[in-house]
Amino acid sequence: MAKMSEDLALVEQFRRGDDSAFDRIVERYSAEVAALAHNLLGWPRDVDDIVQEVFVAALLGLKSFRGDCSLRAWLFTITLNKCRTYHRYRRMLHLRVRAMDDAAASPSTDEGAEKGVVDQETFALVRTAVRVLPPKYREVVVLRYLEGFETSDICRLLGISISAFNMRLNRARKRLRKHLTGLTEDKS
Amino acid sequence: MSDMNLRDVLRATRRAAGEPVYGPITAVRIRQRISRRRLMTAGVSTVAAVLLLAGGLLWTLWAPSRPPGADQNHMESQDTRMRQLRAQSDAMSKLIREAMDRERQERALAALDAELARISDPAEETAQQVDKAAFILVYQADRLHRELNRTESAVDAYSQVIQFFPRNRWAEVARQRLSEIRERKLNKIGESRWES
Repeated sequence: MAKMSEDLALVEQFRRGDDSAFDRIVERYSAEVAALAHNLLGWPRDVDDIVQEVFVAALLGLKSFRGDCSLRAWLFTITLNKCRTYHRYRRMLHLRVRAMDDAAASPSTDEGAEKGVVDQETFALVRTAVRVLPPKYREVVVLRYLEGFETSDICRLLGISISAFNMRLNRARKRLRKHLTGLTEDKS
Repeated sequence: MSDMNLRDVLRATRRAAGEPVYGPITAVRIRQRISRRRLMTAGVSTVAAVLLLAGGLLWTLWAPSRPPGADQNHMESQDTRMRQLRAQSDAMSKLIREAMDRERQERALAALDAELARISDPAEETAQQVDKAAFILVYQADRLHRELNRTESAVDAYSQVIQFFPRNRWAEVARQRLSEIRERKLNKIGESRWES
């Protein structure tokens, strides 16, 4: 609650013309926004563009922010929308972006490989499985399993009912299991 | 694969992907980005407008020009063509007027014929009346002679038919009846003389 009131105070400061308030908002939430975009877009290496787009939209719309939800939820909604737009844009430039993404998408050698969390093959398999999910299924999977949101929060963020959420999550799970069958067999 | 397994695999993959890379974000940088975008939008609009104007200008300059005097010849030829067309249209309207007049006359004639056809011939009507009168006289005479046995009156009536309508067919009938009556009279006289 304290964080929410602090957020509202920052928004109020920004409305009064204090640009540093926006800087503080960015400082506070840029990492979370970047992580969410990173997960939603299927872990590309560079998310600078999309994060900047999110904060451009935030800067332009912050004065009309009514405070119906938390600032974090509002920024996450913008991120979800920007990622959806980005997906459409990426579908348009499918081949080019895919080539770029594939080149950039390898598990970071500094952490993952050294710790032996997942090997290159597993990473590619899971990444492909997540990336081929339709955006609406990927969103629920990311918000549920990677961001750890509660069902009610996800429903509020996506603007869907609980039954719709459950349906999407079930379908997403089925698709993921289907794609990751080889992985589970190996593990077992 | 259970729900927990799925979550673990996804989280492990995210860890393997590493931290997302993005540059420092500040209000100033975001504002610069917005300005750049507005500038780009305005630039694109301006370039489009300039290209359009340039295209229009080039078209005006390079549009195929006519040699001097061509306009006057063109006007004259158009004038001649106009006169020809007017003459053609006059001839055509004259033909149409004539055809319409002819049709109107034919209609009037047909109407007159129909009216004449409705009027009966007076001579024929008189002849019919004469025939009717002669027939009535013969009929009455027949009744006088055959039903009432008034032969003298019947003879008078037949004589009137012959007198008034000598050329009518009923006059012929009357003559025949009179001759029959005479023959019968003569026969009776002969018989009486024979008997006496």
